[in-house]
Formats: sequence, C-alpha cells, structure tokens
Amino acid sequence: MSQTNAETKRPVKRSEVSKLRWTWEEMKNSKTAYFMLAPFFLLFIIFTVLPVFLSMLLSLTDFNMLQFPHWMGFSNFTRLFLEDDIFLLACQNTLIFAAITGPVSYLLSLLIAWFINELPPKIRAVVTLIFYAPSISGQVYLIWKTLFSSDSYGWVNATMIDLGVISEPILWFENAEYVMPLCIVVALWTSLGTAFLSFIAGFQTIDRSMYEAAAVDGIKNRWQELWYITLPTMRPQLMFGAVLAITNSFGFGAVVDALCGFPSVDYAAHTIMHHLNDYGGQRYEIGYASAIAVVLFVIMFSSNIVIKKALSKVGE
Amino acid sequence: MKKSLFQKVICFILSAAMLLSAVALTVSAGELKPDSTAATLDEMQSLIGTTSYAEYIAPHKEAGTKPGPAIILLDNSTVQGVEKVSDSQVCIDAQQINQQNWVDFKSNPNYANALYLPATGSATWSFTVPEEAKGMYYIRIVYYNCLTSESSISVIERKLFIDDRLPFSESGNLSIAKHWVTDNVVKNETTDTTEKDNYSVVHETRDDGYYKVVTAIKDGKKTVTEYKISQDINGNSMAPDVVEKPTWSTYYCQDSTGYEHDYFRFYILNGTHTLTLEAEREPMIVSSIELVPVDDDTAVVPTYSQVLAEYANKGYTAPDKGEITVLEAEFPDFVSDSSVYATNDNSSAGNYPIKSKAQVYNVIGENSYSTVGQWAAYKFTVNKTGLYKFSMRYKQNGRQGMYICRSIKLSGGDYGLPDGTPTVPFAEAHNAQFNYDKEWQSTYITDGSGDPFQFYFEQGVEYTLYLECSLGTLKELIQRVENSLNKINECYLRVLQLTGNDPDKYRDYRFLDIMPEVLYEFLVQAKELEAVKLEFEELCGTTGSHTTTLHTIAILLDTMGSDDGDYVAANMSTLKSYLGTLGTWINNSKAASLVVDSISVCPADASDKAALRKAKAGFFKSIGFEISSFFWSFFTDYDQMGLTSVPNENSRRVEVWLASGRDQSQIWRTMIDAENSFTESTGVAVTLKLVTGGTLLPSILSGKGPDVYMGLGSSDVINYAIRDAVLGVSGNDPRKEVQNEVFSSNYYTYKKDGTYFVVNDPAKVEGELTHVSQTFKEVTDNNFVPAAMDTLRLLDVTYGIPQTMSFAMMFYRMDIFAELGLEVPESWDQLLAILPVLQTNNMSIGVNYISAIDFMIYQKGGNMWRYTDDPMHAGAEIGLDTNVALEAFDYVCRLYSDYSFPVSYDAANRFRTGEMPIVIGDYAGIYNQLIVYATEIAGLWEFTSLPGTHREDGTFNYDSLAGIGATVMLHGCKDVLGAWQYMQWQTSAEVQANYGNKMVALIGPSAKYESANIHALQNLSWTASEKAAIEDQMSHLSSIVNYPGSYIINRYTKFAFLAAVNDGADAVDALTGYIDAINSELERKRMEYGLPIGAPGSPQP
Repeated sequence: MSQTNAETKRPVKRSEVSKLRWTWEEMKNSKTAYFMLAPFFLLFIIFTVLPVFLSMLLSLTDFNMLQFPHWMGFSNFTRLFLEDDIFLLACQNTLIFAAITGPVSYLLSLLIAWFINELPPKIRAVVTLIFYAPSISGQVYLIWKTLFSSDSYGWVNATMIDLGVISEPILWFENAEYVMPLCIVVALWTSLGTAFLSFIAGFQTIDRSMYEAAAVDGIKNRWQELWYITLPTMRPQLMFGAVLAITNSFGFGAVVDALCGFPSVDYAAHTIMHHLNDYGGQRYEIGYASAIAVVLFVIMFSSNIVIKKALSKVGE
Repeated sequence: MKKSLFQKVICFILSAAMLLSAVALTVSAGELKPDSTAATLDEMQSLIGTTSYAEYIAPHKEAGTKPGPAIILLDNSTVQGVEKVSDSQVCIDAQQINQQNWVDFKSNPNYANALYLPATGSATWSFTVPEEAKGMYYIRIVYYNCLTSESSISVIERKLFIDDRLPFSESGNLSIAKHWVTDNVVKNETTDTTEKDNYSVVHETRDDGYYKVVTAIKDGKKTVTEYKISQDINGNSMAPDVVEKPTWSTYYCQDSTGYEHDYFRFYILNGTHTLTLEAEREPMIVSSIELVPVDDDTAVVPTYSQVLAEYANKGYTAPDKGEITVLEAEFPDFVSDSSVYATNDNSSAGNYPIKSKAQVYNVIGENSYSTVGQWAAYKFTVNKTGLYKFSMRYKQNGRQGMYICRSIKLSGGDYGLPDGTPTVPFAEAHNAQFNYDKEWQSTYITDGSGDPFQFYFEQGVEYTLYLECSLGTLKELIQRVENSLNKINECYLRVLQLTGNDPDKYRDYRFLDIMPEVLYEFLVQAKELEAVKLEFEELCGTTGSHTTTLHTIAILLDTMGSDDGDYVAANMSTLKSYLGTLGTWINNSKAASLVVDSISVCPADASDKAALRKAKAGFFKSIGFEISSFFWSFFTDYDQMGLTSVPNENSRRVEVWLASGRDQSQIWRTMIDAENSFTESTGVAVTLKLVTGGTLLPSILSGKGPDVYMGLGSSDVINYAIRDAVLGVSGNDPRKEVQNEVFSSNYYTYKKDGTYFVVNDPAKVEGELTHVSQTFKEVTDNNFVPAAMDTLRLLDVTYGIPQTMSFAMMFYRMDIFAELGLEVPESWDQLLAILPVLQTNNMSIGVNYISAIDFMIYQKGGNMWRYTDDPMHAGAEIGLDTNVALEAFDYVCRLYSDYSFPVSYDAANRFRTGEMPIVIGDYAGIYNQLIVYATEIAGLWEFTSLPGTHREDGTFNYDSLAGIGATVMLHGCKDVLGAWQYMQWQTSAEVQANYGNKMVALIGPSAKYESANIHALQNLSWTASEKAAIEDQMSHLSSIVNYPGSYIINRYTKFAFLAAVNDGADAVDALTGYIDAINSELERKRMEYGLPIGAPGSPQP
C-alpha cells in the first residue's frame, strides 16, 4: 500500500508540466515562505512598483495635481527633448556629475575599505566610524555652507582676505564658476556611506584559507590577491555598492539645494533631479515631471545593466 | 626740503576744503518728507549724551535725608497746574473719556480731578521748592491703567524730564506696570452668617486639585471662595486669557532694568522747576504726582540681623499650634505682567495637582516669568500670631551652576508702605536664592546663609506675598559686565574704523601711536572681567561654563592690549564673535526663570518633614505616572484641545486649518469659543486643525481639504486659484453664480428659542439679531491697502482676504548716527551721500538684493508687468525690459558692485556690533529678532520708512512692497456662508488686534504680529512713534501682482544680478538676456490655462 501511495505522490518532474504550472506548484510547496514574505512584498508593490508604473502613465498626461488629467500622448517627451533647453543642460550636468562622483566615490570606498581592513580590529572600528560619520549625521554637509559662506566673515573668505588673495568676499555658492566643483567635492565627502560599510563587511567574510591556497597556487603580490581572490569573492557587495553609487550620483539633489539654493545660479548645478523638482514642486506640472522621472529611470536602469556586465568581468 | 609758507597755506586750505566738503555732503539733504518719522540728529544726540543714574547720584550721596512735607504737583486743588502740553489732546479731564469697563474708577477720592494722559504727547507741571527743602526726593505717581481705544497689551512707558532734560538716562525709560487678571480662573464666593466666634482662614485644594478653596471665618461671617481653572471637555486646563484690569495704584519712579533696587532719588535744588511726563506707550490716568522727601525711615532698609534682634527684643516666637498654609502657585492673586501665568508641567509625578490623561495647570513660571520686575502675588492669612518661614517647591534648571534670585516683598499689616506698596522687610530679602538643579527641589526661602528667613505675622491680617524677579546679589556683577561690554564695544568700533572688516594681519597699524587709550582700555577690561569672574565663583562656589566665558574673553583682551597692539588686527574677528557671546551672557544672566509648584507659610518651629513638600515623587509613583501617561497619549485627540462643548452634530460647521505653532492655534481656539464671539453669535461651530506646512495641496488632491485655510502666501493663492482650488470671494466670479450671492449681499443671523436662523432680509428677523454677514466690499473697503488686495486678484476676481502683511522698513542705530553727526537718510541720494562717511568708518548697509530690486522698480515708477489696456492680457509679458525697470535694476546692481553693499551678511549680528548702522528688512521680523537678541542696544535703535527716490517728474516715492498671507476659502466648501462669516470675523480689525495682543501677552514682546488690517495697527502694542512709522510706510506700499508663471521672475533677476555682481557683466545686458526666457515661460503657463497671450495695447509711456 505504501508503495502505491508513493507512486501517486511521486514528485512532478520539471519537464512534465508547463512553466506556469511548475511555478504554481513550487509556490504551493513553500507557501509558508511566501506567506512570511507577503507583508513586505505587498508594501513594496504598493509603494515602489506601482508608483513607477503610475508615473509612466502620468508622463503621458498633463496632470497638475489639482484637476483631472488629460491624455497628451508623447508630447511631454517631445517637448522635453526638443524644446526644453534647460533639460539638456540638466542632462549634461547630471552626466558630468555622475561620471565624476559615481566611479570616484566607488573606487574611493573600495580602496579605503581595503586599507582599513588591514588595520588591527580595534583601530579599524574607530577609523571606520571616522569615515562613515559624514554620511550618518544627516545634514552635516551644511558645514560646507559655513566654510564657504558668502559673508566676508565666512571661514574661507575671511582666510583668503587675511592672506590678501582677494579683497571682496567671493559668493561661493552663488557664483556659476564655483558651484559645480564645490558640489562635487561635497558629494564625494559624503559618499563614503552604506557601500563603504558593505565593502568592509565583505572583506571580513572572505575565507582566510583561500589566500593560503592561492599562495600555494602561485599568487605573486597583493594586487593579484585582490583581483583574483578578494574581489570575486565579494562580488555581491560590489554589486550592491555599485547600485548605490549610481542611484546616489544621479539622484544627488538635496545637497545642492541646501548649499546653493534652488535653482542654483544660472542653472550651474542644475541636475535632472532638480529639473524634476522644479516642474513637480514649483510649477505643479506633474505630467511633465513624470516624463522627466521616466527618462531618469531609464538612464539609471541602463547604467545598472552596464555595471552588472562590467562587474561580472572582475577576476577574469 | 623745507616747505614755504605759501605751500603750507595752500595745504591747509585744501585739507580744510576736503573736510568741509565731507560735511557739506551730509548737509545737502533736502527737505523731502515733511512728516518724517525718523528721529532728527538733535533728538538722537540728546538721547545718547545723558549720564547714568549711578553717575548722577554719586555727587549727591551725602545730600541729607530729612523728613518734610511732600511737594505736591498735582492733586485736586492744583488740577489746573499744568504748565504746558504738547497738544490739545494731552491732559484732558479724565471725566471726558468714555469710561467703559472702568471698574473702581471712583474708588479714588480724587477721581473727579484726575487727568488723562494719552499714549502720545507730553505734559509739564511747574513747582517751587523753598530754600530749606532742597534735597533728595522720590517721585510718586498715583495712576489708573485705564482701558481706552488707545490701549494695547504693553506696559505703560514714560519719559520723565526735570527742567526739560533727562536728569539721568534711566529716567527716559520708566515702565509702569498695569494690572492683569487671568480669566481662566473662575471665582465663586458664598457667604453665610452662621455664628462663629473664632477667626480662621483655611486654604485647601480639593477635587483632583482643580480647585483652590479658601474658607474664612471672620466677624461671625463664613466666606467660602472657590477658584477654579476652566477646563475643556477632556479635562485639559484652558489656556489663560489674560485681561487688563484697570486699578488705581501707586508708582514710585524706579529702575526698570533691575540694577537699582531702591527707588530713584532726585536731587532738587530750591527754586522753581518743571517736571514733564512724555508718553512712550499706552495712555494712563494720573490723580496725583508728588515729590516725597527721602527720610531715614523710607531710605534705610534694616538688615536681617537687625530684624532678628528686634524680634528677640519684642519677644516674638513661633506661634503656638500654628498651622501650615499651602499656597498653590498656579493661583496668583495678581501678576505684574500678562506673560506671568499658570501652566502645565508633567515633568515630575510629584507636582500637584497632576493627571496623566490631561494637561492640568499645576505650576507658574518657566521662561515667561524671568524678566526683572515681573512678579506674582499671593494673599494669605495666618491663624496664630507669631514668627513664620516660607518653604517652596520649585525647579530651577535654567541657569546651570548658578542661583537665581527673587525679591520677597510683603504688604499688609506692618509691612509695606502706608499706601499699600509692597516693600522688602529687610535688605537680604532682595536676594532670596534658588540654586540650580535638574530636578524639582523643596527648600525654605532664604539667602545664601541657609537659615530660613523669619517673618512676623499677626492673626487675622491679610498679607500679600510678592515674588519678584530680581538680579539679587548678582546685579552689581552683571552691571559691571555690561559696562565692560559697552567699553569693549566702543574700542572695537574704534579699531574697526581704522582697519575695516578684514584687518590685514601682517600690516603694522601702529595702534600704540594712534590709539594708545584703546590698548589701555583692553587691558583694563581684561582685568575687570577677570575680577568679575573671581567674584562670581566666590558667590556660586563653583566654576562653570558661565564664568569660563568671562575668562576666555579676558584672556583675549589681555593678548590684544599687550605687545604694543601687535595682536589686535589678528584677533578682531574673534573679538567680534566674543562681543556677541558677552551680550548673550548678559541676557542669560539677567533671565531668571523659575517654575514654582507651591509656597507654604509655615510656623518658624515647624519640622522639615511637615514644612517641606516632597521634592521628588516616590519611585513607584513616578513609574506608574509615566506608564499611564504613555497609555493615555494614544487616546488624546489633539484637535479637540480647548473645545468647551461637545460639538453638536446638527449645527453648522466650518473646518479651518492653519499651519503655525501650537500657541497660535490655542489663541484662535479660545477666541472663537469666547463669550459673544464667533460661534456664539453666528451659531457656526469651528473645527480648528493645526497642520504642517505642505499639507494643503495633498489634502485638496484627495478631496479631504478644509473649508477655510489661514495664512496662505499670495503666490500660492493665485497658483491654487488658476487651478480652481480656491473660491473667489469678491462676488463677481462668472463661474460661480450661486456663491456670488453670498459675497454680495447681507445675511442676518438671529437666535430664536436657542436655534439660529439666517435670512437675507432684515425685515424677516424674528428673534434676537446676533450677526450680520457683510458683503465683500464692506469687508475689504478701507480695511486693507489696495496693494494688499491686488496680490490676491486674478482677472478681476479676488481669491481671499489678507491676514498678514509684511514689508521692508529701515532700521538704524541712533547712537552711531549721533556720534558721526549724520542725519538719518530719507532718500537714496542722501544715503549714498553719507555712505562715504560710513565706509571711512568701515561700516556698511544691509539690504537684501532681491527685495531692493523689487522696491526700486516701483519707487522709480516702473512695474514688474508690461502695461496693457486689456485686463485679460494683464501679466502676459514681463515689464522688466522697460527703461524705468532696467534703470532701477542697474541702480541696485551698482549699489552692490560700485558701492560695495555686502550681498551676504548676518543682519542682526552686524547691526548689534554697529558695523551695519542701517539694515533694511521686514519690520516685524527684524524687530522681533532684535528685541530678544540684542538687548544691550535696546533704546539705541529705531525704524522708519524706506529711503525714497526722486522721480524725474519731481515727485518723491518711498514705497515698500507688501507680502501677503491670506485667509482663503477652498473649493468644495459645503457651508459657504458659514465659511464667509468666519473669514470676515477672523480678518476684522478688532479680532486681529485682539489676536496680536494675545500673542504678545503669551509669548512676550518678540511675538509682534503684522496684521494686514490697517485698523488693527492702532490697538497693537507698538509705541506711538513706531506706530506712526509703520502707518506712514503702510500708506506707501506697492505690490507685485501675481499672475500664472510669476515664480520664474525672481529666478532670472537673481541670475542676472549675480552675473553683474560676480563677473562684472553689464547689468542691463544680463537682465535683457533673460527677458525672452521669462516671457516664453509666462506664455506657456497662460496657454496651459487657456488665457490669452501677449500684451497688446499702448506700451507704458
């Protein structure tokens, strides 16, 4: 009897059923796991996935937040690319910004994490905190506002006047020449954040015996060790860090607002994010702002794919 | 080479010519505003150049004190003795004033001859002192704080002149207290005549502690008085409504800063003199003014040891079977100031009374009870004659590592002056000390010595205990620091005049040759501060951050003063920030905040256990209280805070939102619910909700918005209006036929059998008429300046009623102008003429460039928008490219580029140090900041209207620009009439003035409110001269009208301005480069809303 039973309850083979049915069966088998996942998943769909699709939909309308939207087709997009000079300026700024801060902050995080990893545990904890501090203490970047204050009593201005470099105070954050470089410096300063921590954690998880094995196999120096063992082993952390670096460098907006005001002088540090806020927050043109958001989304998404491809080459 | 005489003469003539030309520049001021509100140079110089009281009194220290008759200037026999008045309205017979609410006015036998002194003008009396009577006098004034149409919340302020000059600078700033009662305390008195023979008074607190009950049995009559703080429906105590109560009282001229405990003494020689009272704030009625000779009895206050010796002499001992009387501090009988009121403190479970589910008023004080001269008074009696001591449960966590002081003054029985004025029974009573502790404390009232003060009280006499904020033993030290600060400040300015804002470290300025006295002064002040620091430490027994400040500054001054001044230049910026620190230090040291839970009158021999209330609650009681508070916090409905009746589901209801502080919302709540106020007269209940700033937009989006929103900025009003989110209230909106009716006719609310009815025909009113709803025209005509209404109008429809109105005015430092001998500029030409003098002294002028560009365009006669004949096309094109506007823009850019106005600066700080003797900015904003932040320059600054511009056609214009916050009605409002009734009630002059005064009463003088209603200004608490200045500017206002796309303008003018200032670009070119960008954005926005584009019609001439 037990024999026949076992035969009828024989596990279904993958090749025997359709893909959909297979998935359903699998889901039924691990329903407890799905049940436990459900609360987060539900919130994730409602507050993250749905808004993304909603904004794609809204980008095709003239929604103004207060009245019912009208269908506009792709006219928001044509206006964005063909008529909006400031958008193109914002794209240029964003790309310059992302191209500098993204890779630099990423490499900086990695290198500093690597160096710190070499330190004795107690000192490591202290040094980690020092590097991580700027990003945990929320609005600490406002210190730059004090340093580079436009007032003749601002630290940098006062020092430079003292040294006789200048005679009138420079309006640092209100001068188109200085705005962008300053913002990039501040962005780099605050960028040693979560990615940096995950790198440190990644370095910790590597099995020591692998280095011994590698030494036996003929690794010659620390660089080879880094490239062939360390980095491939911590590929998940690298991926995580990269995604964060991209989103941060593209979505860098609040810091510029706080330092330079909104909009920055002559749009010198106007990024796509600012353009989005400008239309969404100031002009209540949510339809148009959604179109900008969609473009930003596409840019981030595709750069993610590129990075993913690049990271798979690590250690090869 | 030796110069010839001829060369010398030429040199002399040239240099003299240069000097004179500088003077000529300043003199070249033409007469511009005949009724200028700014102080003249003479006025400023006379104000600055007076001696202090200490200097005044020093030479007369030895002048004899002897008893003699008072010299009477004014009483019923000499009522006509007024020598001269400044105008006919001053000094009229008080009988002629409308005496509404003048309680007890006739209780003064002299009332019939009392004189009314209004809030402006001055009155002078003359008097003769015979040869034998010359000497020291106090000045005593019997006055009545009357309520008239001129009254506001402020204290009465007068300047006192003798022989037409201020005898000392402090007499220019006499503040005379008014009497206040809090009407959230309900008093209920019952008397029965049951035969009782013995005398007794029992204070008790019962029924959850909401009540204070005083049972008195006296002369066979039993009086039970119940005091109760009114509560809302959830048991929370209601915010106090502090009301001025007119009372006859006596005032002795005294120091309002707290440095001088005794009354002012005036040294009067024989002969004929005059005495002048000049009004600064508030009207008053005076029934007598007397010069009281200083005799030994009043002049010499005994020391405590003398008093103790006298007790022993007379055989006074602790009472036999004396009882402890507990006075709950939250029930004062009178307070000196409207901001001394009961409040809630749940920080300790030991406070009494206390509730975890509601906020019950259980203490008095905190920050609003900390200014020198403020007092709370408590009446009490004792049941047995004998010696008593006071114990108190309080918290003093305001001044770390230090004590604060209160003066203990008493009246009643043998205490106080015969006229009822309370006095200290002995000198040490000025210094009752309260030490610092994070937690609540329970101690006896005593000075530093530790032995409780003992007082002799007789059975059956009603005494009043006054707890008055004083500087106590610290007064002398604080005064020394303040003098020191003034001296250092002078030195700082002297050095600054030589070196400028940013001294060159490496240059040798030769301070030792040029200004040796400054270096010497630095050293002297370093020693002085160090000495003060040591004395402080001795007094407090500890070193703390408080004294370290003095030490740090002393070290810096020492460095700067030594080494021939080599380190002066390098340390100037540090000194500047230290000056600010020192100013703040003085402010902090003067503020003596104390929270008092209860005061007990205990027999001198009572044990500590009986006399001292427990300072801290027991461990389990505390934990229990915390847990239950946490639990109840889930069930508290904060929207219901202050509701006095359960809302009736059927009644008409309006939902009102406001985005400001909790204090503001509570004040509105009490005002709406007050007797005879909005809800009672209209039958419309109001749900008031306090929301955070950005909530309105999402709420409209989700259809859950309010009916009325208070305080929406005018650009938002227009933004919402073009999206059809707010309702036009001018009654001419073509899209809203039904609602228009409401705004263009009168509605009559009447009450019949407890129900409210509304009709639109006065003939149909059947019951008691309670409210008449006005039309839009009636509401706005004459109440608001046209500039304010313009900002809320779009295509001829108005979308709200102005609530607040801010505009820029000019603040100036009188002392600096007086010192430099400059007149306050009335025009930009004059301002630029005095600028070289200011700049030679390394001073500058602070004005925000965006606001300067805006008002300059209007002062020159331009307009932000291109002129067009067709109202439908208004606002379609920018007017910045007109000649006038470009000229104005260029002018402002040159102020910053050629005349070096700073673009970025800390206005309050630079104004305080004197580097920026002129600051232009929002009048209430800057005033509120200076009044709390820069107390050391109090009285040295004023504000007046903006400098103006001479136009080419010969006219003169000094317009400022109005910024409006409005009350609007949201689209989707169900009860449009109810909402409209609320809006017109809320923006009416009476309600606005009432609100502004309540704000000042609760928060203090730094909560000045800028009401948009021009009639409200009359009753707000500004001085007469401030009022005149504000009124003057109010009648010279323009505004930038908002149209779709307005937001783009400031952005591009800012870009153009920065390009001109940063890179030296041509201002006109920079601005014209952005005109197209602005116009195309405007065009795009107009197309979005289907408005016609372009601005046809004749261009502006």
